[in-house]
Amino acid sequence: MTAAPPPGAGTGAAEVPGAVEDPGGVEVPADVEHPGGGALAAGLAPRPGSEPGRAAGPERGPVERLDGLLGRPVSMRALALLRVLVGPLAALHLWSVAGEAHRAASGAATFTEPYASWYPVLSPQAQAAVLTAGALAALALAVGWHSRPAAVATFAAVAYHLGLSTTHVHNNRAFLAVVLAGLAVGPCGRELSVDSWRRRRRGRPPRPTNAPGWPLWLLRFEASALYGASGLSKLVDPDWFGGTVTWLRAVHHRGELAASPLPGWLLDVLVDRDFHTYAAKVVVLTELFVAVGLWWPPVRRAAVWVAVAFHVAIQLSASVEVFSYLAIAALVIWATPSVRDRVLVIDPTAARHRRLAAAVRALDWLARFRVVPGRRGDPLRVHDRDGTTVTGGPALVLVLSRLPLTAWPALPALLAPPVRRSRRSRRPGPAGPMDPVDPVGGTGRSAGDAA
Amino acid sequence: MALVVVVQLAFVARGYRSDHAELGWQMFPEASTWRADIVRVTADGRHLPVDRGWDGYRWSALVTGRGLGRPDVRHHADAGLDSQLAFLGAALDWVADHTPRDDETLYLQATVTAWHNDDAPTVEVMRSAEREEAR
Repeated sequence: MTAAPPPGAGTGAAEVPGAVEDPGGVEVPADVEHPGGGALAAGLAPRPGSEPGRAAGPERGPVERLDGLLGRPVSMRALALLRVLVGPLAALHLWSVAGEAHRAASGAATFTEPYASWYPVLSPQAQAAVLTAGALAALALAVGWHSRPAAVATFAAVAYHLGLSTTHVHNNRAFLAVVLAGLAVGPCGRELSVDSWRRRRRGRPPRPTNAPGWPLWLLRFEASALYGASGLSKLVDPDWFGGTVTWLRAVHHRGELAASPLPGWLLDVLVDRDFHTYAAKVVVLTELFVAVGLWWPPVRRAAVWVAVAFHVAIQLSASVEVFSYLAIAALVIWATPSVRDRVLVIDPTAARHRRLAAAVRALDWLARFRVVPGRRGDPLRVHDRDGTTVTGGPALVLVLSRLPLTAWPALPALLAPPVRRSRRSRRPGPAGPMDPVDPVGGTGRSAGDAA
Repeated sequence: MALVVVVQLAFVARGYRSDHAELGWQMFPEASTWRADIVRVTADGRHLPVDRGWDGYRWSALVTGRGLGRPDVRHHADAGLDSQLAFLGAALDWVADHTPRDDETLYLQATVTAWHNDDAPTVEVMRSAEREEAR
């Protein structure tokens, strides 16, 4: 595979004849194509709003810089996708606890321990009604119908239930409340939503999909705090780091393991004390790696990949309600918050290319790509945001590694030598127009983004 | 945002001292287990196991969740022993407060055997507050 540098890489749209500008940071339908033969140029055209870059200015103090970081407009696409994914999980959770309240309403009172004597403890019937309303709000959140009020109502229902009793609080539920709080304070309903659809139908202009990034950074902080605190608590506990805890858990569940379809040799390994001496360290270091790696652009994709595997393992080995799905869904917040900054150029006469284009339109939930028609007979081509052009198989791998549903199996393929060799970089300079905006995660060049 | 960061870090630090470690994100903290024999201690000194039921009450109906419904069975302490025993203590008080038909129980008492990870078992006696109804 060869990497063909695009003509005019790093130049602005105005300098490239036939350049097609994206609608610019506002809602871009996933099936937008850029006809007119300006494929390469379209791929390189900086889009107003989505990539404001790093303004050079006078020296600023740390507080001013932090303020600028928090207020810098970035794409809220990840927040919108998180809303879609978390809504059903919140609905499931609230439906479940509403069922418990319904059962309590029909029987005798059971033990609870409110956090405060002044906390408003409604009757079980009223609690069931509030939680059911919260579940409905969560469904509205998922589809983006009155997104902000729905997010606030869903958060309020989840938080109210947690406050009712210490016995209601589990880490997974608390994290759900935290994520919902992040959605409630951020503009999560301007894309992928009924709200935006209704706005279009009424002929009103779309609301800006870029907004100050602080809700996103806040969620990133909370997500990494989750992994970091969990890993740290295990690191400082000799029983955990030494393997006693995981070994005992396996021993306590020996009967269930034996009844599972696991092969005998694996069962022997799982209850072997020496195995856990090493396995526990892997678990602890995995959590710490994810906590730190998500912030560090060069390893962010690896951290995302490891986190997904980690949560799948947890889901298979423990009962954690909706936590595994929630934590995996929350990984979308680590995608670089700029949209349509990669161009997928297809040969419109090739059936395989058209199929891929259709798949990208359907699965590009984070709006990573613009799909444009190229010349007949050209290989598949991706112009990355850093000026790199990749063709053929490596381009396919690159595309799949950036789609949420296919990223996990595709990411390891990025390490394959042909794919690595194919990424011939054309770097426009330290602050070029193609730099993605990820003020927290760096510019994201070459490996700086998660998706 | 700075406030949220500080508060979150404070919760993480608090998690090392508090029973329930809310927002402390201490996942799967222990492999500890526990069991308890719970009795009603009457004003005249009798010890009556709660699993027999009394005055129309049953422990397993009054206390559900967090593994508290069958304390006589050895359970995993999901969120750690400190958290589990704090729940048990609160449950003893709650039952003492929410069984108005019972006019003979002075307090509830749990004899708890706890296994912190692979340490030797420890035995602890926990009591509810004394009840006015039996005085």
